Amino acid sequence: MAEQKKKHKKRRTATRAAASIGPMVKEFIAGTVRAQREGAQKLAYSFIVCHHEEILRAMDVLPIWTENFAGVCGAKRDAERFLQRAESLGFSRSLCTYALCGLGFDHWREELGEMPPDAPWGGQARPDFMISTGQILCDPRAKWYQAAQQYMPDVPIYNIDLPYPLYHPDRDHREELPYYHKYIVEELKGLIAFVEEQTGKKMDYERLWERVRLSDKTWNLIEATYDLRSAIPCPMGTGDAMNTMVPINFMMATQDAYDFFLNLKQELEEKIKKKEGVVENEKYRLLWGGGLPSWFALGDFNYFNSKGAVFPAETTYRMVAPIAEMNIPKTDDPVEHLAWRWLGYWTFWYDKARQRKGGEPDVERLINYIERYKIDGVVMHEAFSCRTWHVGLIWQLHQLAKIYKPIPVLRLGKDGNKTQAWRENPSLVLESDIIDITSYSEVDTRNKIDAFIDTLESVAKSRVD
Amino acid sequence: MNGKNSVISSRVEALYRDYGKRAKELKDEGKTLIGYVCSFVPVEMISAAGCIPFRIRGDINEPVTKGDTVLETIVCPFIRSCFDLALKGKYDFLSGIVIPHGCDSMTRSYSTWSYSLDLPYAYFLNIPSVVKPASFEFFAEEIKTYKKTLEAFIGHEITEADISQAIKLHNAYRNKIRTIYDFRKSDPPMVSGVEISKILTVGTSLPVEEANALLDEIIEELKTRSEPPLKTGKRILVDGACVDHAGLVKLIEESGASVVAETTCNGMRDTFPLTDEQEDPFTGLARRYLDKINCPKTYRENRAGSFEGNIADRFGDIGRYAEHFHADGAILYVYKYCDPFGFEVPARKAYYNAIDLPLLWIEDLYSSGTMGQIKTRIQAFLEMIEQ
Amino acid sequence: MADYFAGIDIGSTMTKVVILGDEIIATVIGPTGVEQRRLANKVMEEALSRAGIPFEDITYIVSTGYGRINVPFADKQVTEISCHAKGVSRLVPAARTVIDIGGQDSKAIRIDANGRTKDFVMNDKCAAGSGRFVEIIADCLGVPLQEMGTVSLKSKNPASISSICTIWAQQEVTAGQAKGRPIPDLVAGVHRSLADRVVRMARRIPLEKEIVLTGGGAKNAGLVAAVSHMLQTALLVPEEPLITGALGAASLGRNMVEKAIKKGISLETKKRVLDVVQIL
Repeated sequence: MAEQKKKHKKRRTATRAAASIGPMVKEFIAGTVRAQREGAQKLAYSFIVCHHEEILRAMDVLPIWTENFAGVCGAKRDAERFLQRAESLGFSRSLCTYALCGLGFDHWREELGEMPPDAPWGGQARPDFMISTGQILCDPRAKWYQAAQQYMPDVPIYNIDLPYPLYHPDRDHREELPYYHKYIVEELKGLIAFVEEQTGKKMDYERLWERVRLSDKTWNLIEATYDLRSAIPCPMGTGDAMNTMVPINFMMATQDAYDFFLNLKQELEEKIKKKEGVVENEKYRLLWGGGLPSWFALGDFNYFNSKGAVFPAETTYRMVAPIAEMNIPKTDDPVEHLAWRWLGYWTFWYDKARQRKGGEPDVERLINYIERYKIDGVVMHEAFSCRTWHVGLIWQLHQLAKIYKPIPVLRLGKDGNKTQAWRENPSLVLESDIIDITSYSEVDTRNKIDAFIDTLESVAKSRVD
Repeated sequence: MNGKNSVISSRVEALYRDYGKRAKELKDEGKTLIGYVCSFVPVEMISAAGCIPFRIRGDINEPVTKGDTVLETIVCPFIRSCFDLALKGKYDFLSGIVIPHGCDSMTRSYSTWSYSLDLPYAYFLNIPSVVKPASFEFFAEEIKTYKKTLEAFIGHEITEADISQAIKLHNAYRNKIRTIYDFRKSDPPMVSGVEISKILTVGTSLPVEEANALLDEIIEELKTRSEPPLKTGKRILVDGACVDHAGLVKLIEESGASVVAETTCNGMRDTFPLTDEQEDPFTGLARRYLDKINCPKTYRENRAGSFEGNIADRFGDIGRYAEHFHADGAILYVYKYCDPFGFEVPARKAYYNAIDLPLLWIEDLYSSGTMGQIKTRIQAFLEMIEQ
Repeated sequence: MADYFAGIDIGSTMTKVVILGDEIIATVIGPTGVEQRRLANKVMEEALSRAGIPFEDITYIVSTGYGRINVPFADKQVTEISCHAKGVSRLVPAARTVIDIGGQDSKAIRIDANGRTKDFVMNDKCAAGSGRFVEIIADCLGVPLQEMGTVSLKSKNPASISSICTIWAQQEVTAGQAKGRPIPDLVAGVHRSLADRVVRMARRIPLEKEIVLTGGGAKNAGLVAAVSHMLQTALLVPEEPLITGALGAASLGRNMVEKAIKKGISLETKKRVLDVVQIL
């Protein structure tokens, strides 16, 4: 339906830090609109997880995170009109709905020469240039801005290629890293040259180093902060992490991001001291093991909470890893460092996966989190419009169940005697979309959650440790 | 001419109907077959290794069942069908598989493929998504890694001479396909779209030497053909992703038109570009696969600085083919859940509009079940351009 | 002797026949249903008898609609796209867009002043985008199908039915009912949901005025109001919106014959025997 905008109850967050995110996002969306009006800073449409924030920040370019804006439209249940506009332009509704929402919005804004009526949080500013990215992550990232150029032909694009080697169990990826690294360095340097041309400013490599050091420091702080969530009871869940992903993904390489996590860490430490958990009577600890959330239905996390379930960890949007463990070669060049960090992040679980029979990096990460955060069950979300994060999840759950059975139970043998056996973690796959609310059924989703809670309960009863 | 002695109606038809028939025989003879999906896999390297590249095909008549238990339904329906058949044992004669960075549906399902099929050889080939000097360099290195893994698998070295020889053979194959395409230029064409669809599909299921010999026979047959297989009708270009079956083209031709060109992944997008035989083989292959294969997955910089100029650059080959084969209309056939093509539909529509070629855009699943609905659209489109 | 032309439009639920002389001389509409396959020829028979002319006097017969292939006595098959375009143009010469909401699918056609198709879109066969959707919900709410339109017009506050899937929409309606939402609001919500699907598809072509709504959907005042609301414009509905396909078929038949005469060629015609129509 066109009129999707119901008055939507504000979601409860467990932490003060998470509650502060809403106004923060509102401000940086408003900030880009302001900056565009004032004209002092160049604005760039950008994608998250490109390890180029340091470059943009060092050159005073203000990124406009188009995925974020689409997510905001989704969370405000006001994406439908932009999705429909994209659809009327000839884009299939089966494509990435972030991109569709952005394209619909851009087309509308360009047609009017001003923001579409009642644009969420003041709307998305027109960029000076766009930085798209063909990684081996996500096709829409290479296609979205190219498609947007049809409606803004004067806005140039730089497409940055950032590959990483895929995992092969029988091969050491390190052999390939040198040519990957060389290529990524070239690509990042190409981006710097492009931004220099667009802004008319030269890159100050000392400033770049400062930014790089700042984000490295932030990465480590985030790791330390999120590790606190392993406490029982768990002080912060995935519901909140879907807010705190904002400084990780949209504010990296800024002092604000670092300070945010400093505060959050302090808050979590206090909660742990006071044994204050997300839920009063914590029964089940769940891992959000894959998939982007339905931004319009974050309330489902509260629903889990109401059943005594909490999410101490998630793989989604935790786009950092402990830098010290990456063995990044020493270098004087911040760009080389960024390229190594990129490769270090994506291959982080490769060695560990190779040590386990049937191991695979994504599955290994699930196992690691299950152990580290004392997890009872895994929940994933299958968003129909996004292949990037939602293909391979079912297989991962299969493989996880096959190679990892952490729960001790008694089983009735053929002879009638009970023997000790091990079973896998229960899992649940929810189905909907990131922002397309027409794909969501609250009744259906909650029924699934209820059934999953029943399973967790029966598994808990049959545990023998 | 389509009688008993016809190569097209007997051998091609048999190989098309029982896809992998010859591959099974070869496997029994002790040959090593390596499967692949997409046009981005340098098959030359597999041939140079003494193995047989085998293009994995889907089946529009086979509902996806087993595949759905491990692979998400939001994956491109073509890849889902391929995976389902592989999982059901249809391609058990394969000893290995190569999946390229063609799209998210391939990339993100690589673990699912490699672990589920558990073949002795599996390789994911990384392909840059931009065309720049640095990306050619990277890609040439990646092809070297691909070669190394094949060497480890077969247990001996692949020499530059082996690769050069394979490049020649595969170029010869592509040249022969071009020769067959020449028979489409007359009105009505002397070879039907359905025949070409089957030839294209069958061609990539055989060792390249055998395929070349088969194409030679087909060319001889076409040279002596006296009657065109179809009546004069509107001439249609089919544009889109991989259409490795004759079903769609059959619908078009049964509705009174002739398909005269197909800028599809298993059609001209793949079969027309050649590898430069003068260059160092790694550079030559890197150039062919990265630059000459015109796939939406590859980002091409907007050098023109305008939208009109950009689409002329990006899709100019389509216009040239349309003109060369005298197309009266085009059908843009795109799968649901295909991000690379899906995001280009408005731009492609604008391009067809710019070259004044009527266009029908169809979004479809990879299934014979939807063909009935498509038929009405195709017929209405033909009525529209005939009026 | 005047020339007569017949158009037969076999849709998923209704079979329509129009016999055309200089004017429309007969129009018959009958159900297509599975058990009534024979009705297609019965409808033709009825039309002939109303027109008062023998079958042999029909110069040319064009069949259309999803059952068009299987009409043994039709001289030519033409898609419903071309036929609706032609039929609507004949009834409403100012029409530039046709939106047809049928029992099983819906389509939008851009036409020129001569009733020629310039562009068209058609949805996938899916209950949620066709008249079938209203039928399912009518059944679920226990409202007689033909009253759905008038019931919906009573609503002041249409319910929001967000699901695109018929089954989920059904769930939403049931949940709404349980919550005590008035039936007119639910029915109006359902009409808006269908209208939304149809309009979303139609917007893929430029929607030029006048916009004419045809098919079974056009007989539902609630749906017409909903589509008009979404498009923010008035719609035209022909007096009998079910016959535009058959009328267009007959009319195109006349054009074909005239063209053939001009070119001096003869057109093949079938034997004028009312054989049973098999619809697969």
